[in-house]
Formats: sequence, structure tokens, C-alpha cells
Amino acid sequence: MGRARTTRTRLVCGNAVMHHLMGIDGHYPLLLAIWLLPLLGAVACWTFGPQLGRLAGPLGSACTGAAFVAALSSWGDAMQKTSAGLGAHQHLGSWFPGFDFGLLLDPLALIWALIITGVGFLIHVYSIGYMAGDRAFARFFAYMNFFVFAMLTLVLADDFVLLLIGWGLVGLASYFLIGFWFERPTAVAAARKAFVINVLGDVAILFAIFIMFARVGSVGFADVFANPHALGGWLFATCACLFIGAAAKSAQVPLHTWLPDAMEGPTPVSALIHAATMVTAGVYLIARCWPLWSASPDAQVLAGTVGALTAFLGAILGMAQWDIKRILAYSTMSQIGYMIMGVGVGAYEAGVAHFFTHAFFKAQLFLGSGLIIHALAGEQDVRKMGGLRTRMPFAFWAMLVGVLAIIGFPGLSGFFSKDAVIYGALEHGHPWMYAVGIATAGITAYYMFRMLFLTFWGHYRGDAVGGQEHQPGPVMTVPVALLIVPTALAGWLLFGPASWWKRFLNGQFSGETLPAPVVSELSTTFIVLAVVAVGVAIAYLRYAGDAAMKDSKERLEREGARMPSVLVQAFYVDTALNILFVKTSQAFGTVFGRWFDPQFIDGAVRETVISSRWLGHLFRSFQTGLVRAYALIMVLGAACFIAYYAFSAGVR
Amino acid sequence: MPGTLPVAIENYIALSAVIFFVGVAGVMLRRNPLIMLMSIELMWNAANLLFLAFSKMWLNNAGHVFAFLVITVAAAEAAIGLAIVVTVFRSAKHVDVDEVNLLKG
Repeated sequence: MGRARTTRTRLVCGNAVMHHLMGIDGHYPLLLAIWLLPLLGAVACWTFGPQLGRLAGPLGSACTGAAFVAALSSWGDAMQKTSAGLGAHQHLGSWFPGFDFGLLLDPLALIWALIITGVGFLIHVYSIGYMAGDRAFARFFAYMNFFVFAMLTLVLADDFVLLLIGWGLVGLASYFLIGFWFERPTAVAAARKAFVINVLGDVAILFAIFIMFARVGSVGFADVFANPHALGGWLFATCACLFIGAAAKSAQVPLHTWLPDAMEGPTPVSALIHAATMVTAGVYLIARCWPLWSASPDAQVLAGTVGALTAFLGAILGMAQWDIKRILAYSTMSQIGYMIMGVGVGAYEAGVAHFFTHAFFKAQLFLGSGLIIHALAGEQDVRKMGGLRTRMPFAFWAMLVGVLAIIGFPGLSGFFSKDAVIYGALEHGHPWMYAVGIATAGITAYYMFRMLFLTFWGHYRGDAVGGQEHQPGPVMTVPVALLIVPTALAGWLLFGPASWWKRFLNGQFSGETLPAPVVSELSTTFIVLAVVAVGVAIAYLRYAGDAAMKDSKERLEREGARMPSVLVQAFYVDTALNILFVKTSQAFGTVFGRWFDPQFIDGAVRETVISSRWLGHLFRSFQTGLVRAYALIMVLGAACFIAYYAFSAGVR
Repeated sequence: MPGTLPVAIENYIALSAVIFFVGVAGVMLRRNPLIMLMSIELMWNAANLLFLAFSKMWLNNAGHVFAFLVITVAAAEAAIGLAIVVTVFRSAKHVDVDEVNLLKG
């Protein structure tokens, strides 16, 4: 009894906020507009695709843009702390009496909604140019809008079931988009792989929901978060299940293998799904469930460890890639590792801030790489690029800003958020995650500059286009140019103890005050900068120095041949998963297919057939067709009855 | 003995049994369906005879009711049976029941 009371007192601060979570007034039509506009665009593009023709692009972009405007205009209400709670709420319906579901727009949901619709809008516009030559132009925008709708369902849900529905729809949309070019077998395989791994996460979340329903009796955020200790001994299990879902969606080790393969999709898809929004859904989930995570130190260690590991392994693998999109894919994986580490260990504001800045600079990098790929007629191998600095100056500057932002160049956005995450790990008492974070920052600097040097420095090594790369039009360059601004400057919103960011989150995460760690935040910044500088210097010496410039083509070929197979095979994770799950399932299937099915299932069917036939043969011999024989049998039967009754009566 | 009968009940039973077995023999031995239907009629009426005899003996009118029921059912049966015979004759040009064996297994 006494212990329970102490627990409750400790949580009172969190309670105050969480009780606010679910607005009671429950009527906010603007929220419906944010949510349904992309769905409208998807349905329109899908239904009237042939009629719309080239108009599908502007229509899809307009719907996403309108949703962005709606999200912007609901800013004030999302920030509002009324007696009903933090944020705006729209009631939608009931799963069954007493179990309502609806939409909730609080600062956390708002930041995601703004990124999804805002960056999504820019990517939509960019796609009008990038996909201009594609036959299935309208289908592309239908899928893109559907994805935005699914993602909004996920982040605007106010209970776990609606969240899971959004979660599943996002996986479906991702399947559509990765497999958009379904004539390519590799794209289909990548789409299937992504979907299967995502569904694994869906199932894990479903189990978490079962536990919550059984222990708390509700699946609404407000009810579950009001007292995480109501989950009792199941708290860690719930967090672990949620984390498996987050890991599957956010490409965390060992469920990351779908992300590099997913680069088979069109480049704008990679920018939208695999950089800015979808893969950060796991970060959102943990940030949303922060009361559970704060209550379970084991879950913090789990998420922090996996996040740090993913950040590090992703960076290592990023060093060994030659495909420009795969480099960016592994860097995404690594950066999401940072975010998961941040929100995992309890540095929620820092983790979400890194999502915020990453969405800009990673979309920037992907769209920039799309400019190059588009100009070189689909060439993605950095060995066949080079010297593009003078030939594509705009792409160069866009990529340069993106690269400087991701490695944390002082003043650019990544500088603030990444340092906040790394420092947050130390602050919450995980020095080894802090060390891994710093090392990863150095590796990130190395492989990002490696990509930049290989692409833009030296001489053109490719043969894709005979010096006649087609320059992208304004519909592609303007979105990239617009992204440069937040990529460069968004970090300043996070700066300072009373930053805009803290005011924006408006007490979404009620933190505890922590003892100051041994290393101060300022020294952390200098350590990270030193490591980053070393990374850049090594990249320069290897790929851009005078020595490296000689016979660069042959050198790169030799380097490709010498690449350790452990890196080429991505630490054999794919192979291991293949042996563990695919091969064993296949073996299981073979045993059942070769032995159980023919022997038991088919055998049972065959035996039924044989015995039926035998019985049929037996009975047909009675059917002589001779009426008098039937009459005889009837009489004999009647005689038997009579004899039986007469006899038994006699006995009695 | 509640009721009075002109002769002892055993006589009725014996007569009924004789008529019944004449009917049974007719169904089993004859090949003409008309004769077979008539033999079935004999069996019905053997039963009727017993119903009425026992009804009279026990002074219970249920037996009379059953006799009427039997007559009704027998009439229906005769109608259907004759219809089948006519149909068979139309298609097979004979009415020998041993030759009508389309349903032979």
C-alpha cells in the first residue's frame, strides 16, 4: 500500500500532462481536413487517373499542400493547454461502447504532421518533374497521397488501435511505393521484404495492445499513460513489444535489412518514406509512449542499446557502399539509430529534435541525389560519377549543405540536434552510448564526404551520357532550394536553454532534473567536432587529395575488389536472417510438402475415397432392380421385427 | 370381455393373417404390377379387418378412425401406383416389373 502511494507521487507530474492528452470537447473539424485531404487526393488520382493525365501531379501536391496549410493554421490550438488537455481533439467514433477513438493534435503530433505534409508537399512537387516520363504518373501520386494519409492516421491517432491501423496502412503504402516499378523483379522482392518485416512489427504492437487491454482495460493513450505501473510486471513486455514494432518500421538492427533494398523505389519515394517520415515512425512511437519508457529502465536500456548499435553499424556499412542511394539509406539507418537512442534513453526532446532536422537534411540529400540520378539517366554508382561540381553546380551546393548538416557542421541543423542526442545519452547515464555516438559522428563525416568527393570532385568517370546530362527544370530545383533553408537554419530553433523548441513542445515531456555529467555539453561539442574533422580529413586524403586523383578510375576498381566481404555482405545479417527464418521455414515447408502432406493429408483423402468406393460396390450389389426382390427383403425385414418383438415380449 | 363379437376374436385374427399372406405372396410372386397393387390392397384390408374387430371388441372407436385413415392412404397409394404403371407402360411398352430395372446398381 505504502509503496503504491510513493509510486503514484513520483508520477504525479506525468499524470498532470497525460490527463490533458485527450481533449474532452472533441470537436475540431480542421483536424479532419488535415487527415482527409490526402485521402481525397489519393482517391481522386486513383479513380480519375486517365482523365487527369498530367494534372494528377499538381492535384496530389495541392492536397498535401492544403493539408500542410491546415496543420499550420491549427498550430495555436495544438499548443493550447486547456482544462481539457494539451492540444486539439476530434472525436471520431467508438470501437465499442466506452472505447472511443479520435484524432489528437498536440505538439508531438503537430511536429510530425507538419513534416509529413510540409516536406511531403515539396517532395510531391519535385516528383512532378522526376516522374514526368513515367507511364503510371497518376498511380504514383495516388500512392504518395495514400502514404501521407496513412502516416497522418498514425501520428494523429489518440489510441493504440487507430495508431496500429495507421501503422499497417503505412506499411502497405510503403509496399506499393517500393514496388512501384513492378516490372523489376528486384523492386518486387524489395517491396515484399519491406512488407513482411513491417508486418512483423505490426504483430508485435498487436501483442502490446493485448497486454494493455488485459492489464489496463483500455487502449487510449490517456488511460494507458495515466499510470504505467498499472501494467505491473508486464510493463517491460509491453515496451519490448512496442519496441519490436518501432524497430521493424525504423530499420533498427536486426530488422534493418529491408531499408537498403527499399532503394529500388523511385528516388522521391526514398526521400519521403525512407528519410523524412515513415522510418521515423518508431521514434514517434517511443516518444508518444514516453511515460511507459520513463517508467521502465530496462526498456530504456533496450532501446538505447539497439539505437546506438544501429547508428554505429549503419555508419560502418555506409562506408562500404558504391550506390549513392544505398549510402544515403545506410546513413538514414544510422541517423535513426541516433533518434531511437535519444528517445530510448529518455532524451525525448533531443531525439524528436533530431527527427525534425533530419527530415530536412535527409530529404535534401535524397532529392539532391535524385537530381544527379535524373541527370545521368539513372546512374547510381558513385564510381561512374565524379567531376559534377562544375557541371551541376546547383546539385553540388544542395548536396554540400545537406552533407554539412548531417555531419554536424557548426551552425547547420544537424550540429544542434545530433550533439543534443549524444549529450543526452551521457546525461541519462549511458557513457558507452555516448562514446558510440561520438565515434559514429566521425564515421558519418567520413562516408558522407566520401560520397561528396566521389560525386563532385575529380573527373567524370562514367559513360552514361556523353557529357550531355540533362539539367533538371525548376519544378525539381525549387523544392530542393526551399529545403536548403531549414536544412541550414532549423537547428537554431533548438539553441539555448529557453529555446523555441522547448516552448514548442510546451511540456509534452515532463522531464526529471538530472545530475550534471562529468563532461559538459560544450566539451562534447568540441570532441564531436574534432572527430568529425578527422573523418573529413581521411575522406579527403583517400578520395580528393592529389594522390587520390591519379588514375582514380582504376584505384576505385581496385578498392571495390578489395572491399572486405563482411562489409559487402552487411555483416551477414541478411544471410543470418535468411538461414534463421527463410531457410528454416523452407525446410519446414519441404518436410511438410514432401512427407506430411502426401502421407497424412492426401492419405486421409485417398483412404476416404477408397473406402467410399468399396462401400459403394457393396451397396450396389443390393440394388438388383428386381422389384420382387425388394419386396422379399421388405417382408423378411418385417418378419425380423415381428419376431424380435414377439420374442422379447415372450421373454418378458 | 367388454365387447361382444359374433364369433371369437381368434377367427378374425386368423382370417386377417390369411388375407395378409395372400397379399404378400401376390406381391412377391406376380410380375404384373396391377396384380401387385391389388395384393397390396389385400394387405391394407387385412389390417383394416383387425382394426375393426379389435375396435368392436374393446368398444374403442379409435380403430374405426384408423380404418378410415388406412382407406384414404390406400386410395392415394393406388392412384400413385396406377399413375406409375401407366407411365412405365407408355415408355417401355410393357408392364413386367422384372424388366423395369433402370435403377439397377
